[in-house]
Amino acid sequence: MRVAFFPGCTAQADQIGYEASVRAVMPRLGVELAEMEGAACCGYPPYSSVSEAAWFYSSARDMAIAEAMGLPLFTLCNGCHLSFTETKHALEKDAALKAKINAKLASEGLHYEGKAELLHVFELLHDGVGKERIAAAVTKPLTGFKFGAHPGCHSIRPSKLGRPDDSENPRKLDDLINWTGAQAVEYPGKIDCCGSSLASASGKTVMEIAGEKLKTIKGLALDGLVTTCPFCFKVYDNRQRAIATTIGDRTLEVPVFYYTQLLGLAMGLRQEQLGIELNQSPVDPVLARIGGA
Amino acid sequence: MKPVLVIGGGIAGIQASLDLADRGTKVHLVERTPSIGGVMAQLDKTFPTMDCSICILAPKMIECFRHPNITIHTQSEVVGLEGGVGDFKVKVLEHPRSVDAKKCTGCGLCSEKCPVKRPSDFQAGLGQRKAIYLAFPQAVPLIATIDRDACLWFTKGVCKTCEKVCPAKAVDYEQKENVVELNVSSVIAATGFEQYNPKGIGEYGYGRYKNVLTALEFERLVCASGPTGGVLNRPSDGKVSHNIAFIQCVGSRTQTTGYPYCSASCCMYATKEAVLIKEHEPSSHVTIFYMDLRTFGKGFQGFVDRAQNHWGVKYVRGRPGEIREDPTMKDLTILYENTDVGKVEKMTVDLVVLCTAAMPHRDNRKLGGVLGVKLDEFGFFEDKDMLTAPIETSKPGVYVCGSCHGPRDIPESVAEASATAAKAAEDAARAEVKQ
Repeated sequence: MRVAFFPGCTAQADQIGYEASVRAVMPRLGVELAEMEGAACCGYPPYSSVSEAAWFYSSARDMAIAEAMGLPLFTLCNGCHLSFTETKHALEKDAALKAKINAKLASEGLHYEGKAELLHVFELLHDGVGKERIAAAVTKPLTGFKFGAHPGCHSIRPSKLGRPDDSENPRKLDDLINWTGAQAVEYPGKIDCCGSSLASASGKTVMEIAGEKLKTIKGLALDGLVTTCPFCFKVYDNRQRAIATTIGDRTLEVPVFYYTQLLGLAMGLRQEQLGIELNQSPVDPVLARIGGA
Repeated sequence: MKPVLVIGGGIAGIQASLDLADRGTKVHLVERTPSIGGVMAQLDKTFPTMDCSICILAPKMIECFRHPNITIHTQSEVVGLEGGVGDFKVKVLEHPRSVDAKKCTGCGLCSEKCPVKRPSDFQAGLGQRKAIYLAFPQAVPLIATIDRDACLWFTKGVCKTCEKVCPAKAVDYEQKENVVELNVSSVIAATGFEQYNPKGIGEYGYGRYKNVLTALEFERLVCASGPTGGVLNRPSDGKVSHNIAFIQCVGSRTQTTGYPYCSASCCMYATKEAVLIKEHEPSSHVTIFYMDLRTFGKGFQGFVDRAQNHWGVKYVRGRPGEIREDPTMKDLTILYENTDVGKVEKMTVDLVVLCTAAMPHRDNRKLGGVLGVKLDEFGFFEDKDMLTAPIETSKPGVYVCGSCHGPRDIPESVAEASATAAKAAEDAARAEVKQ
């Protein structure tokens, strides 16, 4: 299976471990990642407060590149996936805007038709690669580990746009975790927001919201939290010490992993290959238990 | 005088049949399930009087059965209708019971010995019945029936235990379906409603969380003839529930998942169920989450006042956004905005009861096609005129009563049933004069 690979700005600029783990894991599952020459930002919906057309243009341009490659567009980031989905819906409804954007794209020899399939990590791994191939690739099953899944808002909402998983009872990330040999545990607040969108308005609120989830995971004595969204990861992993300080709970020690890192470990890959040394949450005890990583 | 066809053996169909029969008109009462009684037979008590539901209904059911002017066709459906008012030709398809109605005494020995268990419809899925069974203890007619999809003889060609144990030799595996042709003067549709399945409203977790029940399921749980004998053992661990919350308007009065209309009876039955909990155990905590309290019927507001002031039922104005389950204890936490004070709050309870929408029966569309009457956008039968002909349909001689043409409570269904009986009797008399 060949896909146009769109890592997105956050993964490339900041969440390098995520991209590294994806590049390590995917080829071993028979997924060929084709580089997207000239791809830029997904459009980032908040730009619409300045210019909605600029968002749609930026977003449509990336999709046009995937279209020209004749491949499905594979995104790492929940936010990018939603941005592309929203653009697709908007341009389906607004032929004039589509024509205007295509006129701009013509200068680069590009054309947006809306035919490129969008693939989220859940869709590629859960619906595409599937249980059998993942199970076959797992050489060091994570038996005995219990993790909480954090699918992240943008992978499940808004439900009416058609998202990778169910908005109220998402199960795909849980399945993916289970396929590594670990056990995904249902916990209250699984579909809660990580808070990151509020970062520019009220940092303290973000910490409080994220702290609630980490406390729940800790309280259930789970071995960690697993996500596929770089924004959520930034909060739960990179900001975990700040969260502990803000909510005044120094015992918060929750290992956080990208799903592809966890899968890589189960596939017998070394932690350097998976960028795990960049994780800032206390992942070492988990790594020690897996052993030889 | 030509008979009248009544479709549906719930409280509305029963009332219409009795009214007609008592004035000398012959009635054919057609019921889809093995027994007449409908939803009212499943209820524990009725509002606002707190009467025992089956105690009111059972005598009427028996009266239907014994009345010389009423013929009951159970496990039957209307599959054809031709002609017009005064002279309808009707085809009724009687599905086989696999039990000889003339021989069966309703002793129940067959179901005692039957090895196959299935969820009981009467117990709203909370209890079990056998493959050969009596619908419920007060079933009318009190005749066993075989669920051919579950029976080992019909599915695997083995067993026949019921035939061996039946002292009346009533079991008849060879019974075939039968089409009865009737000539009637008019038709009364009283097919009732179905309960909305709240699985579609994912945030309340019905189907995922064991301790989230629908109101009809709770009605069985709180009922002395229910699966727990009326003790509020919650499904997850059997713990006796002392802290219970009701959520109103689940699937009704919504523009998203469900129906936009008001389901008419939920404010009152939730209050009734809340009072029942308090009667069982006065120290229980009961909370009802509501949007508006609709207590327009006779004695309704007084009933709610009593629930609040005498029994201490707590009413919170707010539509909960989410229910969360504790993964170990299985207790439920409700997240809601208390709109009386404008605050976002949480409440943890043992059991949540969802008061779900009353929706048109799934067979309404099929029956509407057979009868040739119009349905509204939701699938309820459409009234000829909402103000001046509220129990007539688009087809002369076909009448509707009860919740098959919109959500109704029991008193309204009964009143409408009597009204349709009067209309149908008029048609019957007019047809007689013409001949």
